[in-house]
Amino acid sequence: MTRARQRGGRRGGENGGGARPLEFSWADRLDILDGLSVLIEQIYVHLPLKRSLYGFDIIRALQALRLQSTTLTDLQFHRELTTLVNRLRDAHTQYQAPWTKKGVVKTLPFLVEAYGPPGDVTYIVSKLAVGAKLGKSFAEGVVITHWNGMDFERAVDLHAEVETGGRPDARQARALESMTLRALEYAPPPDEEWVDIGYRDNLHRKRTIRLAWDDVVPEFAPNAAGMSLATRFRRSINLGAEAVRRAKKFQFNRGYWEAERRAAAISDPKKRLTAEFQDFLTAEPRKTPSGVFGYLRIWSFDVDDDRRFIDAASALVQDLPDRGLIIDIRNNPGGLIWAAERLLQIFTPHPIEPTRFALRATRFTAEMARAVFNRDEFGAWTESLSSAESTGEPYSAHIPITPPEQCNDLGQRYGGPVVVVADANTYSSGDLFAAGIVDNRIGPLICVGQATGAGGANVWSARDIADALRPANLPVPKFPKGVDFTMSIRRAVRASAAGGALIEDGGVSGQTYVMTGVDVFNKNQDLIDHCGRILAAQPWTRMNVKRRGSEFEVETAGLDRLDVFVSGHPARSYRLKRDGRQRFKLRPKKNQMVEIVGFDKETVRQRRRIPID
Amino acid sequence: MALVIAGRVVPCDQNDPDAVFAGRVFIGDDGTIEHVAKGSGPAPAGFATAPVIDAGNDFVIPGLIDLHNHIGYNTLPLWAEPTRTTPYMHHDSWPGAPSYRASITWPSKTLVAAEPEALLAYVQLRALVGGTTAMQGWPTANREHVQVLRNIDDETAGGTSRNLIYTSTLTLEPLELAKKAQAQKDGAGFIYHCGEGAAGSLVQREFIDSANAGCLGKTFIGIHCNSVMPADWQRWAKDDAGAVVWSPFSNLWLYGSTTDIAAARRQKVAICLGSDWGPSGTKNVQGEIKVAKIAGKKLALGLTDRDLVAMITSNPGDVLARCWKRQIGRLTKDAFGDVTILRAKGTKPVWTQIVESTEADIVLVVVGGVPRYGDPQPMQATAEPSSKFKLAGKDRRIAIRNPDDPGKPWKFSEITGLLKAVIKDPKTAINKAEARLRAYAGPMSAPDAPLLLALDMPTGTAAFAGSLKDHADEIVVPPLSSLVHDAQFFAEVGKKGFHGGLLDGLKEFYL
Repeated sequence: MTRARQRGGRRGGENGGGARPLEFSWADRLDILDGLSVLIEQIYVHLPLKRSLYGFDIIRALQALRLQSTTLTDLQFHRELTTLVNRLRDAHTQYQAPWTKKGVVKTLPFLVEAYGPPGDVTYIVSKLAVGAKLGKSFAEGVVITHWNGMDFERAVDLHAEVETGGRPDARQARALESMTLRALEYAPPPDEEWVDIGYRDNLHRKRTIRLAWDDVVPEFAPNAAGMSLATRFRRSINLGAEAVRRAKKFQFNRGYWEAERRAAAISDPKKRLTAEFQDFLTAEPRKTPSGVFGYLRIWSFDVDDDRRFIDAASALVQDLPDRGLIIDIRNNPGGLIWAAERLLQIFTPHPIEPTRFALRATRFTAEMARAVFNRDEFGAWTESLSSAESTGEPYSAHIPITPPEQCNDLGQRYGGPVVVVADANTYSSGDLFAAGIVDNRIGPLICVGQATGAGGANVWSARDIADALRPANLPVPKFPKGVDFTMSIRRAVRASAAGGALIEDGGVSGQTYVMTGVDVFNKNQDLIDHCGRILAAQPWTRMNVKRRGSEFEVETAGLDRLDVFVSGHPARSYRLKRDGRQRFKLRPKKNQMVEIVGFDKETVRQRRRIPID
Repeated sequence: MALVIAGRVVPCDQNDPDAVFAGRVFIGDDGTIEHVAKGSGPAPAGFATAPVIDAGNDFVIPGLIDLHNHIGYNTLPLWAEPTRTTPYMHHDSWPGAPSYRASITWPSKTLVAAEPEALLAYVQLRALVGGTTAMQGWPTANREHVQVLRNIDDETAGGTSRNLIYTSTLTLEPLELAKKAQAQKDGAGFIYHCGEGAAGSLVQREFIDSANAGCLGKTFIGIHCNSVMPADWQRWAKDDAGAVVWSPFSNLWLYGSTTDIAAARRQKVAICLGSDWGPSGTKNVQGEIKVAKIAGKKLALGLTDRDLVAMITSNPGDVLARCWKRQIGRLTKDAFGDVTILRAKGTKPVWTQIVESTEADIVLVVVGGVPRYGDPQPMQATAEPSSKFKLAGKDRRIAIRNPDDPGKPWKFSEITGLLKAVIKDPKTAINKAEARLRAYAGPMSAPDAPLLLALDMPTGTAAFAGSLKDHADEIVVPPLSSLVHDAQFFAEVGKKGFHGGLLDGLKEFYL
């Protein structure tokens, strides 16, 4: 981890114009506009949706900016372009202007959180940055009332206007977070060098404090995907939110931050595995009036190895109480699609159907799909893209990015009931995970806010797009050095009962929950209790399997039948008269798979797979 | 590096097709033939200090051209689905065979993912030992890689465009065919797997579509076309005839029948040969030419040995020259300096000796003026670094530069060592390959990017490519298929395939 501080931040070019030479010539600007226009027209997957939903035609807007581009300063040009792209309300599709500092987050030294129902929201300082010296009165628990002299709620509303997010509540959730944590992944630096914050201290006295923006540069965690070639085409993530998440951890949970650096030194393989992934996964038992339940926090899916991520999650949940599991994916910015979708299987005895993705059917996407080099990535979409050329269908077929067989190759590893908590900042692969929980009937979804963040797409960088265009002999737009972009390439639709429903702009809705002051200051205890009540009302069974050579011991509760299969063939079936242990012998061969299925009144409740090494 | 090759020159010159004379071939620094001289007259300017390889009485012939392959699969042995009892109907029939994925897709993908450079080196060597200097059917790559043979799919012929020839292994939609026909009008070539299947089977439609699209012209190179019925060959106008690539071994292996060469010849279509891929092909075009001889005799095609030699030299050379605007497959001025030296034996006519020659008879293979494979003495005539190895009991040398240390030759044992490590432990190799991808975050086209190769044949799976890693426990990579036609190969030929014993005769040339 490195941390750089630059008081006041850099604000190059604000006084542009006059005699200052242009960093970007008019020709450079045309290259940017022409390149973006072509790619948005040909590849941007949400173009028809955004046109109809927001009544905004970005292609036309880019043409208009083309006409004005010679009259603007550098800063005006990039700000104007950023604003246009932001009007798509798509955190996946972002213009990265020269002010971009990938991985850098502008921060104020405190965290502001909100609680209470709409119309009666309290904004509160929930945490102070480690080591921040802000005086005695500006402490955890103070209520924020003003921002640069403006009512704080109004300031959040105004900032929400420039945030992405399809729904107002999603924009507001992002805006609230970015009042004190602003990733420079896409957005320009804050306009102000410092902020005057009005607040009521813990003795209810009105006070003001002036705080300056700092830079935090949170490095990627070990095992983070980054731009790795192994995963870059299969990501669904809000990169800015991921940087903010890391910055928050550095600012407010320094202990976790330092612990992840020590993981490599741990000798026990299981502990080392879970320690290596603790930036993405943490777990603990939580007491509630309804009982003790497991609590699994999935901070991010941006891992470089989905299989090890799932193994780490499995190791964590297997040590938790099996009475029920609360999976918390609030503020999860997404990451590797395979990681999110393959993880679902460990929580259910039933087969998983992953979300499906489609490309826009255009000349570019058809040519890209047909290129032999792109076959692994796009081969499945080729036929429908080709047929769309003659039928005029606007989209390709919707096909999973995560192969269904790999969504079902490991099987259930946690047998208790499951409830998932999400919020409007649960985005991208976080949306996909939430959709998978609901659509595959794994458990109920609790939403802080109306729904998840509604980022339903596979996102590619400019480099990824160029790498796919090149083998298809398609022109690769030339962008001047210093600018970059990301774009939604394949849109996600939900599976099973909600099959075909779009995730973008709508999100996945669940049972609404309103955060309380207790939640903010006492580790989400009201929320955990609420989830505990839901879990306690779910049917509960248990099935623990142990194997010693050819002997299998199955501990059961609440089950009345066990069926045993070897590599898909029926091998044993037992009627269970009481809870307890069932022992049997099997002599499976190497590389065979033993599967044990537990029933309660003919309903499958448990399923475990034991690979034979 | 200029080079002079002296010997019994068989130039396959259009103006004197039967010529065979003692002479010299002068290849300039740029790898182009500057002059072909009869006798021992003075050298042209610039060759005074050029190394001279004197082949004596041996034949100096144009480098052999393999116009149909899928080289990424050429470490694999012959494949036959154990449960199949009748010949396949067409190219969509066999990729769904129960053993296809485990026998072909997974092993080839594993090798390609784990050791792509070593794989490319090995399969190029397999072609070189059969006298081949140019090949079609390379996997698409994200960046430059080890390349000593001429890549027909990607040849720039001294220019910058890599689109002088378009290729497609998979069936194209009519509109795509029309686009290719448009490109052909602008001079491009189009190599198309077309109508591969039993005569009259439904894939014949691909040939008819090609005709309707306007593809059937002088730069169309149809691979297989074995489903095409005699009447349909007439769609290809005699005065606009291109080429068909005949792969009789593969056809007979999979379908029990082969291309109607007589009908193609009646339309003046140039007949070329391709050895096809490891799972259903010969080791190299030296093997394929013998199969063509056997099949020609069986089908009473009236092919002379000279006709057969043209199928791996001047016939493909002429059709490629239409696309590249440079000659190949003939030893003439300004042609590519691709030369094979063949040991002369006995008194049979030169064409017969070429047809009957085996890997043991290859003296030297020169690509673009650079000796790449052959006997130790001629291989050491130039400064190109090379290393020795034994092939079928004989001392040989190869000149393939080590990608990790380009100043040094890549030893045969190093190449095979890397591949054997993958074969021994595919799971570890797959994990290492994935770790390489995880560690790299730059552009794919950068020289230091991990080499990614896209194989061109059907995967045998449905819509999803899947992850190698998740199948690592199931993957078995067979031992490296030998570089030469050997007893093991012929034992497989004798037991499998749908050739009805016709291919059994191939071993008579070798054993």
